[in-house]
Amino acid sequence: MSRVTVIDHDVELTRAGANVRGTLGSVLFFARRYPLGAVGALIMLVFVATAVFADAIATFDPLTTNARDSLAPPGGSHTLGADFMGRDMLARIIYGARISLAVGLGATMLGCLAGMIVGLLSGYFGGWLDLTVQRLMDIMQSLPLLVMALVMAASLGPSLTNTIIAIAIPLVPNVARVIRSNTLSLREMPFVEAARAVGMSETRIAIAHVLPNTLAPLIVLATAQFGSAILVESALAFLGLGVPEPHPSWGRMLSESAAEYVRTAPWLVIFPGVAISAVVFGTNLLGDAIRDMLDPRQRF
Amino acid sequence: MRARLALGATLFVLAGVLGGTPALAQKQGGTLRIYHRDNLPSASIHEEATISTVQPFMAVFNNLVLFDQGKKLNTPETIVPDLAESWAWDLTNTKLTFKLRQGVKWHDGRPFTAKDVQCTFNKLTGKDTEDDFRRNPRAVWWQNLKEVAANSDHDVTFILNRPQPSILSMLASGYTPIYPCHVKAQAMRTNPIGTGPFKFVEFKRGDSVKFVRNPDYWKPGKPYLDAIEWKVIESRSTRILAFVAGEFDMTFSADVTVPLLKDVTEQAPKAICDLAPTGVSSNLIINPTVAPFNDAKVRRALALALDRKSMIDILSQGKNALAGVMLPPPEGTWGMPPDALQTLPGYAADVEKSRAEARKIMESLGYGPSKTLKVKVSTRNIAIYRDPAVLLIDQLKSIHIDGELEVIDTSIWHAKVTRKEFSVGLNLTGVGVDDPDVNLYENYSCGSERNLTQYCNKDVDALIAKQSQETDAAKRKGIVWEIEKQLAEDLARPIIYYERSATCRQPHVKGFVLHQNSIYNNWRYEDVWLDK
Amino acid sequence: MGAYLIRRLLLMLLTLFGMSVLIFVMLRLVPGNITDIIFDSAGFVNPAQKAKIERQLGLDQPIVTQYVRWIAGLARGDLGYAFVSEKPALDEILPRIPVTAKLAVLALVFSVLFGVPLGVISAVRQNTALDYALRVVSLSGLSLPSFWLGLLILMACVQWFGWIPIYRSTPGSFWSELALLSIPAAAVGFRSSALVMRLTRSSMLEVLRQDYIRTARAKGASDPSVNYDHALRNAVLPVVTIIGIEAAFLIGGLIVTETVFNIPGVARFLVEAIRWRDYPIVQNLVMLIAVVVVVVNFVVDMAYVALDPRIKYEE
Repeated sequence: MSRVTVIDHDVELTRAGANVRGTLGSVLFFARRYPLGAVGALIMLVFVATAVFADAIATFDPLTTNARDSLAPPGGSHTLGADFMGRDMLARIIYGARISLAVGLGATMLGCLAGMIVGLLSGYFGGWLDLTVQRLMDIMQSLPLLVMALVMAASLGPSLTNTIIAIAIPLVPNVARVIRSNTLSLREMPFVEAARAVGMSETRIAIAHVLPNTLAPLIVLATAQFGSAILVESALAFLGLGVPEPHPSWGRMLSESAAEYVRTAPWLVIFPGVAISAVVFGTNLLGDAIRDMLDPRQRF
Repeated sequence: MRARLALGATLFVLAGVLGGTPALAQKQGGTLRIYHRDNLPSASIHEEATISTVQPFMAVFNNLVLFDQGKKLNTPETIVPDLAESWAWDLTNTKLTFKLRQGVKWHDGRPFTAKDVQCTFNKLTGKDTEDDFRRNPRAVWWQNLKEVAANSDHDVTFILNRPQPSILSMLASGYTPIYPCHVKAQAMRTNPIGTGPFKFVEFKRGDSVKFVRNPDYWKPGKPYLDAIEWKVIESRSTRILAFVAGEFDMTFSADVTVPLLKDVTEQAPKAICDLAPTGVSSNLIINPTVAPFNDAKVRRALALALDRKSMIDILSQGKNALAGVMLPPPEGTWGMPPDALQTLPGYAADVEKSRAEARKIMESLGYGPSKTLKVKVSTRNIAIYRDPAVLLIDQLKSIHIDGELEVIDTSIWHAKVTRKEFSVGLNLTGVGVDDPDVNLYENYSCGSERNLTQYCNKDVDALIAKQSQETDAAKRKGIVWEIEKQLAEDLARPIIYYERSATCRQPHVKGFVLHQNSIYNNWRYEDVWLDK
Repeated sequence: MGAYLIRRLLLMLLTLFGMSVLIFVMLRLVPGNITDIIFDSAGFVNPAQKAKIERQLGLDQPIVTQYVRWIAGLARGDLGYAFVSEKPALDEILPRIPVTAKLAVLALVFSVLFGVPLGVISAVRQNTALDYALRVVSLSGLSLPSFWLGLLILMACVQWFGWIPIYRSTPGSFWSELALLSIPAAAVGFRSSALVMRLTRSSMLEVLRQDYIRTARAKGASDPSVNYDHALRNAVLPVVTIIGIEAAFLIGGLIVTETVFNIPGVARFLVEAIRWRDYPIVQNLVMLIAVVVVVVNFVVDMAYVALDPRIKYEE
């Protein structure tokens, strides 16, 4: 018994986006087509807004200590409770968004930029450069992300910039790999041949023609790496090697000193963890949707 | 009849003398389970300066003399014989002769003689060039020791350059065990041999340390325990949870901080917790060679801005001890009580008034709410260092100083400080014995390795030497207080507080008395027994 | 195929060699060495004694000499002496490997046992409420910091069972040790299981769409047999890849989990050794990790060939 599928062409066309008008229309279209992605985008927006408007939103200063409110439970003047030194948890989580997003964004952009350059050069120009770079990437990939970041963080010392660098560098090989393989296939495309025939320099071809076409997989990769960057930052902070005081970092709020109060003050452990998970969750949702949209072959 | 009565009375007295305490119900056997924090670098007490090594390994050794394990305070009056049966000063008070116990054996069976005492102190005073210690943190304790003469197999004389009553206190510390001649320093770091109540079994780094009863211990009937087992747990929350759940008999020394004490007493109401000073103080190190603290006025402003009470309230719910250089009463013998402290510069009770004065000083130098002085506050990347630093920065705001926290990794902390690459730092100092010689020589004398800021005041040095020779305790205390005043004025190392922390044990652990003025001398474990 | 194998092996050796140089240099870039740490615990620095210890440990030699000495030792099976414990590095590392290995295997087993069936269900019931729910669960698995999960599990154990899963190196039977390790293994494996679930789902979907399934259906095979026979066999392939990729990630997860649950394994030892600047331990441990990752990747690639005859390596 076969089922007959009736194809309504108008519906299909609309579904494919033929009738979308304006920015609002595009946004709504995206939201309807990828509902989970829209949720992810919303979550990310909330956190970004929190980070940007932290001064306006927070009622307490995240760094002000207060003996009276030490380990105050949630409720009352401290909505999410207070930590060991009486600092307001909600304020610290709000300002912590700044740090965590800064590290995540910084490391991801740095890593992806470096990876893109490396992958592009390596894939496009080939030869000895390619071979050496490939081996270097091999070596860097033989260590897990956290281990590399750990050694780098230990060698660079505790600071915000150093943490960003320590996380960015291990991200480079993955990005370089993907960009390189993309570049390799793009290199043989007819439009590149045509550009060469016209007399365009290799560099110009690389930058003006090949690069834009690697952006799609790069964006997909970047969203995945962003989540990893935030998770690695929190792990480094937990081990004592992340962003130092007094920057309120979610990862460090979960670290050893907070874990001391796991039973007396569980809110110290629950809320920062929820914040980290929510951001990464939102990133993953958004990333999934973007990947579905740009590059359905990589479906996960 | 009378003979039997006399015999009975004698036996009773003897039993009391030999047993120490009148409790005659000690049970033999059982394994004491304790947890360890594990920053344990090596097993050699002489080469380390941390409770992490002293607490487990003190049970392996004996000293010449020891602070009574059954009395709460370490004072010269509570020093009891250990390997030395008796001792006497000569008339010049520079020669101290010990009569040593006979028939004592090392754990490997070799006999203990006066030569072992000589070997130990040759290493400590740097006379042993062949097999010396890798590190000798307490070299400064023995600077007045000219030599140790072994008069016979069981007779030693300590020859000093000048009188020093504190020498006995230093010998009585957990930090001064007697090492064997026939074991190399390197072996003592991994496989220590002593004469003490417990033999070392094994040390699995990051996992456990094990000791077993010494059946040939020279105190008959002791120790009562069969074994001591330490399990390493790095996370404080995990190990305290484990104690509360009954997995351990005792906590690590001073591991239950004041904020956690309430929780422990609620969750384990039968546990016995003693809150006592640890001999560790939180203090400020100020670099007087670079701006801004090369200006005495700015230093004074800093001292006036300190609100010690507020820090004590936040970090310990008010339980830490407000103090000068020496541990204050009731536990400390030499320190100044609160009313005397208030006369010291920077300790005035009215903090607001002091801060107003400090602000005036800063304003006279051109600083104000719109023009703040930017200063880096350096400290180590550990919570117990960081927390007071964060509070300090908060307090500096009130006098137009904009502090920025600089967290320095442990591995380069001392190097940086020695090179004077800091402006003001937050530091922790542990004092092994509540004794002025120990504290003052280690931390404030010219050229001492542990004098972090290389503070050097010849007048203070002279006073330190003067009190060191003074045999009259009351006079000595007067000189110590003079030194305190001078150190406070010089801002040599302003003490913020002496910390108090709790050590807990299960109710079935008997025979243990927690020392209240130091954590470093308490851990022979030979009187401890389990009532199970 | 033989030529490919040899090429591959040479490349692996080259990679490992490169890693040895990289970690060696990175470690010495780290400020402070073991002498700083052990003096720090003594509370002071004595430059003369410090220099003496450095000489004893060979740290005053030029870097190249130190490197050659290490590599030459490795070739002989001599990993050098640990700086902190003054025992042979091999004696410090070897006893810690079993518990980490057990944890890793348990975590992988957990991830496959949990991930594969759920991935299949999710694929078969695509776009239903169940599918969405499972996808949210798998996504959360990828979003939770694994040490946070570990902390929460610890909290729950204490709160609800009044008991704390402390690892003892001499536990009772094999089964009691397994039971005790399964809790941290679940914490580590949760993320891997999420990845396995997603990958199984997508490869199942791919396969379900393919022609031969339609052909099988047209031939009249009933639904269930079509799903699990043909589809599953081909869906296994990417799962094998994932195990390879996860091997690297798992080690990171093990580091934090061993710290939270206080397990004296090799992963936590690495963090301790870095803190202590115990070069011999860190160098050898990092090499060990690199070897594991490289070998696992190789095995996975070979398994690929074995499982899917269409794949041939012709680089």
